Amino acid sequence: MNTRYIHISAILITLAGLTLISFLYWTEPKTLAEVTIKGSVAIGTYAVDRSAFEQGLASFRKDDFPDARVAFDRADPEKRDAATQFYIAYSYYRQGWGRLSSDDTLFKPGLDAANRVMTIEPNYRSSDGTLAMKTPAELKNELEEGLKITPSDFNPMKLTRERK
Amino acid sequence: MTEEAVIIDVGIDGEILAVDHGNAKAIVVSEGPVIASSHQRTFLTYIVLPIAFLAVALFGGMRLGSSDNAFIFIKPALICLVFASVLMVILLRSRLIDIGGWFSEDFSTLKNAANGAVLLTLFAASAQLFNSLLPEKGLPFWVVGFCFTWTLWNDLFAEFDPKRLLRSLGALFAMAFVTKYLILANLTAPESSGWLQRFFDNPAKEAFTWLLDLPRYSAGTGYIQFFAAIIYLIGLYLTPHTTKK
Repeated sequence: MNTRYIHISAILITLAGLTLISFLYWTEPKTLAEVTIKGSVAIGTYAVDRSAFEQGLASFRKDDFPDARVAFDRADPEKRDAATQFYIAYSYYRQGWGRLSSDDTLFKPGLDAANRVMTIEPNYRSSDGTLAMKTPAELKNELEEGLKITPSDFNPMKLTRERK
Repeated sequence: MTEEAVIIDVGIDGEILAVDHGNAKAIVVSEGPVIASSHQRTFLTYIVLPIAFLAVALFGGMRLGSSDNAFIFIKPALICLVFASVLMVILLRSRLIDIGGWFSEDFSTLKNAANGAVLLTLFAASAQLFNSLLPEKGLPFWVVGFCFTWTLWNDLFAEFDPKRLLRSLGALFAMAFVTKYLILANLTAPESSGWLQRFFDNPAKEAFTWLLDLPRYSAGTGYIQFFAAIIYLIGLYLTPHTTKK
């Protein structure tokens, strides 16, 4: 092998190696599978797993929210897809909603997911006709209201309200 | 070669080294093995060494979680970069690396750049080796960090030859490895459900873990770091003093 090519190889090996190491230490993947996913994010080929998303959607429609979230997490492990994160937030809302009081332990992660949607795509609007709330702002408002204790919480008319 | 010529010396690789022409003996100056050796050295310096040092740089900061063996990548602390810089100066002062033999106006730009790349991987590997051997936090971090500082500071002003320096570094890294991955790791209580259960299971270890702020890693971490340290020392041993022919 020509010495010139060996010198070029040394430079390329160093550049490629240092790039890979910087990438791994920056993204901190926990498993080899995560290395692949984070790699696809870095090179712009990351995509949601459609079959897992459809499974999540089917569970969501059957009100099986924990299963739905598991499937949505599998579909979007990097939490980069606005639609998936919106459904995750919505699943927390629906599961935690109560006629008398809401479940704060479910509303808090729901609020985090709604905030994530607003960060990923501020103008996101769901096209799902079965959902009463179409935007993350509406969902966020509902989740925040559920977390607060206000005089309106003691209004007996609240018993007549419906889950959105 | 004429018909009368008799081969009188053959090298171990079958190369003809000397022939007898009857009245006169001639030494055959063959460039074959010299070129092969030069190629091997070039291959070692520019391909094997960067790969070895990059492997150390990759694995030096890698730990495995105690409960699920998940990868944990720990970025080097600033002090590791300082230690690596001091170590590079020591390597230059001891002439383990002759700076004039690595960078020269006589070399092509490409060769100077390739040499720079190799030394960059050496620096990265050094920083990550310190990252590997230095405890992450708490009292052990300060104690071992102080020992490294003391030793490197002394080495900086000592007169070394390359062999002695390699032995000294080997001993330093071996001691740090034993401290972190054998002594401190064996003082760390294993991960279990709650601190109360951990305390009843291993009261002394739990107390040491809490007092010394020891992180809990899987046993595999020690194996990875052992090989990282070994590869680093072998790489350092194979690093040529100069790249001049």
